[in-house]
Amino acid sequence: MNVADRIAAYREVVEEWLRGLYHGMISHPAYEKIEKEAEDLEDAFLLACFPDAFGIPSPVSYYTAEILPYIESEFKAWERRLWDRQTMLERKGQQYHF
Amino acid sequence: MKPFVFFGGKGGVGKTTVSCAYARKCAAAGVETLVVSTDPAHSVSDVFDQQFGDAPESVDGVDGLSALEIDPEDEVTAHLDDIRNRLSDQVSASMVNEINKQLEMAHQTPGAYESALFDRFVEVMRDSDPYDRVVFDTAPTGSTLRLLGLPEFLESWVDRLMHKRRQSIDLFEKAAVGNNEPRRVMDGDPVLARLQERKEFFEYAGGALREDAAFFLVLNPDQLSVNETERAISDMADENLEVRGLVANKLTPSPDDDENGRGARYLRDRVETEHERLTQVRESLDAPLLAEIQSRTREVKGDLLAEVADELDVEVAAEEPTFV
Repeated sequence: MNVADRIAAYREVVEEWLRGLYHGMISHPAYEKIEKEAEDLEDAFLLACFPDAFGIPSPVSYYTAEILPYIESEFKAWERRLWDRQTMLERKGQQYHF
Repeated sequence: MKPFVFFGGKGGVGKTTVSCAYARKCAAAGVETLVVSTDPAHSVSDVFDQQFGDAPESVDGVDGLSALEIDPEDEVTAHLDDIRNRLSDQVSASMVNEINKQLEMAHQTPGAYESALFDRFVEVMRDSDPYDRVVFDTAPTGSTLRLLGLPEFLESWVDRLMHKRRQSIDLFEKAAVGNNEPRRVMDGDPVLARLQERKEFFEYAGGALREDAAFFLVLNPDQLSVNETERAISDMADENLEVRGLVANKLTPSPDDDENGRGARYLRDRVETEHERLTQVRESLDAPLLAEIQSRTREVKGDLLAEVADELDVEVAAEEPTFV
């Protein structure tokens, strides 16, 4: 193995590590953060659609009931997140993996 | 006169009588007319001595007149069943129960009855092509007329929901790394499609009610009814709906001058009180008093209805709907 090959192999390892680190530390948390934000917005959407689930009467719940058949997965996730969520700080800071 | 005419008022003032009389008057003038009742007590059926159902049926013996009776409870149930059917098509068995709970809750809210009624009203207006005039005999619940002022409000609500939905889908799409499938896709999203449908529905409703509808209130010549009417006029003004006119019903007939028995004195007294109330109506209410209909000794049906129709001084010629 000559010097050039060894340098190439070394660079490959370093590049893989860098890619991994970039993915793990920068891009993945960023996407995770966007997804969290999307989930939060979806929660707000569902709350606006079905406030009577919390005892708040709504003039449109008769109409929003029409979308219930199409939001199975949202509904499931919504309920899970509602059970799961303790503080806003905890949720917003989750990507830092304290 | 606008193609869609609504008669409102408290329970028992004679909305059905006045609506039917007006519908008959229109039909007699050669205007193809449909009278729509929402009273679960089926009073239009009583007036014409004929059973009417959910589809328009022509009235026997009156040319150019059809009638239709809406049962709000049936409408609520139909709406619920329709969603339930779609629910079992789309949703897995484990979630059906959970969602069903939500669904039933939505159909037990105090507004469900009115919403169902409103939906059907708008449908009737949409499909009113074969008729020149549709006369609505609105249910005596206070909020029915108010609901007619709500399409703009509901439309903007649906708009906000769509906005929220779009925002979250947009973020979900952005969050899909590399070749990952985004969790939600904007294109062909069934929720947005449904909401859009609703939005267009409210848009039509708002337009048709603003441009092509006229509202009348029926009242009786007593203080309670006059007060109620005053409130109704100002409530409707708040929603930008103008009351075109008032119809006073159940006026007491005055006795002949030479009569002086107990009955005649009672009647005279009564007539005087009613006269005061009507003066008050003319002077203090914002809408003109268009007709004064005397009390009859029996239920207004058949020939009596024609008589009442004659006393009803409301224009009949129908304009074309402008908002389609």
